[in-house]
Amino acid sequence: MTTADADATTSPGPVVVAEAVAVRQGGRELLREVTLDVRRGRVLVLRGPSGAGKSTLLRCLNGLVWPDAGVVRLDGADLRSLPAPAVRRRVALVSQTPVMLPGTVADNLAYGLASPGPDRLTRAAAAAALPSALLDRDAAELSGGERARVAIARALTRDPEVLLLDEPTAALDADAAATITTTVRALADTGLAVVVATHDDTLAAAIADEVATLPTGGRGAG
Amino acid sequence: MSAAALQVATSAAFLVAAAGLAWRLRLHLSRDLLVVGARAAVQLTVVGLLIAAVFAEPPLAVAFIGLMLFAAAWTAGGRLTGVPAPRRRAAVAIGLPALGATGILIAVGAFSPEPRTAIPTAGILIGGAMAATSLTGRRLLEGLTADADAIETRLALGDPIRDALAPTVRQAIHTGLIPAMDQTRNVGLVSLPGTFVGLLLGGASPAEAARLQLTVLLAIVAVELAAAVLTSELVTRSRTGPGDRLLPKG
Repeated sequence: MTTADADATTSPGPVVVAEAVAVRQGGRELLREVTLDVRRGRVLVLRGPSGAGKSTLLRCLNGLVWPDAGVVRLDGADLRSLPAPAVRRRVALVSQTPVMLPGTVADNLAYGLASPGPDRLTRAAAAAALPSALLDRDAAELSGGERARVAIARALTRDPEVLLLDEPTAALDADAAATITTTVRALADTGLAVVVATHDDTLAAAIADEVATLPTGGRGAG
Repeated sequence: MSAAALQVATSAAFLVAAAGLAWRLRLHLSRDLLVVGARAAVQLTVVGLLIAAVFAEPPLAVAFIGLMLFAAAWTAGGRLTGVPAPRRRAAVAIGLPALGATGILIAVGAFSPEPRTAIPTAGILIGGAMAATSLTGRRLLEGLTADADAIETRLALGDPIRDALAPTVRQAIHTGLIPAMDQTRNVGLVSLPGTFVGLLLGGASPAEAARLQLTVLLAIVAVELAAAVLTSELVTRSRTGPGDRLLPKG
């Protein structure tokens, strides 16, 4: 970690800010005027019923969706003015149903990296509670819980500043969910900013530093 | 009986025999067979007369090729569901390579610029480009939906949009080229293509027929690849936005 990063870790300023973000699609309002701050070392939990726009908001925060109104800022700069691939490495998103890319777990972790040293992969795997014995396994053969951890580890190999998790414990058994819960909390404690969209009350209670609730129809703010 | 009358009489006898067999087997097809047979006779007679006029007047030949392109773009554009201005995009994907290749073949002297040669050459290439455009476009649109999660995963991992779409685009272009590849691979083994048969029937030597057929066949492969690449480019542009984003459908 560089000095600048260490300073940033303890910096009180938000790394990502959503200002009155609204998204419409086909005449339907997916998200209405959501404002929130994402801070380093903190876990922000997004709550709200299905259809409230939690996934859309997460996708706005890393530039996969551009808001129709409002703005998302990364370290003060409008996300739309920054190169998207670089933004998405800094603000990593793990979707609700993680897709395993072809190849082994190690191939997945190294995907898109110019020089993925073994240390980097092992470190990311350890941070996501992924046993190193799994690295040589075909990613297509993994269980749901293993896939969730591979997806988190894959995001971590990019050394992100923000980790966005969409329903990370959905469809997982209690043990796998508990592992994810512990992992997420530990990641935030290392200085990572974490945003988790979830219906899981146990997860929310165990990890949340702050909670933002999006009511149905997308209206709301954190 | 003249040769022409004999040809017509023989083909009519085949049609009547088919209708008779269908009637005997109670397939309820006799009437349809007679109708499509008569319809084909009328259509070919009209096209024959039209082509005769077009062959005599070069400006009409240009209009005729334009009509072929319009019909091909109309058909292939109909496959590009949900893409804005689909027929205009199809016209570009078909017209640029097909007319470009026709122009090159005429310019280098491989084919004569006379309507009698230019129209069939353009027709074959437009037809090939139309098939590649339809297949590539349809497969790509299906792929963008089916692969949406994988594409978004790659984007989320920091891939530029072109890299994230590459596997889906590659698969669509492969699919678009299947007919041209199969035709080229099996030429002379499974079927004798139209140019070859036409030249032989017209009195050309087998060597001459094979040479011209090869010219057309290899031009078709290049034209279809160009049409498939252009189609994937035009469809991709309609479904991606600035900031390396995949746009929602419609």
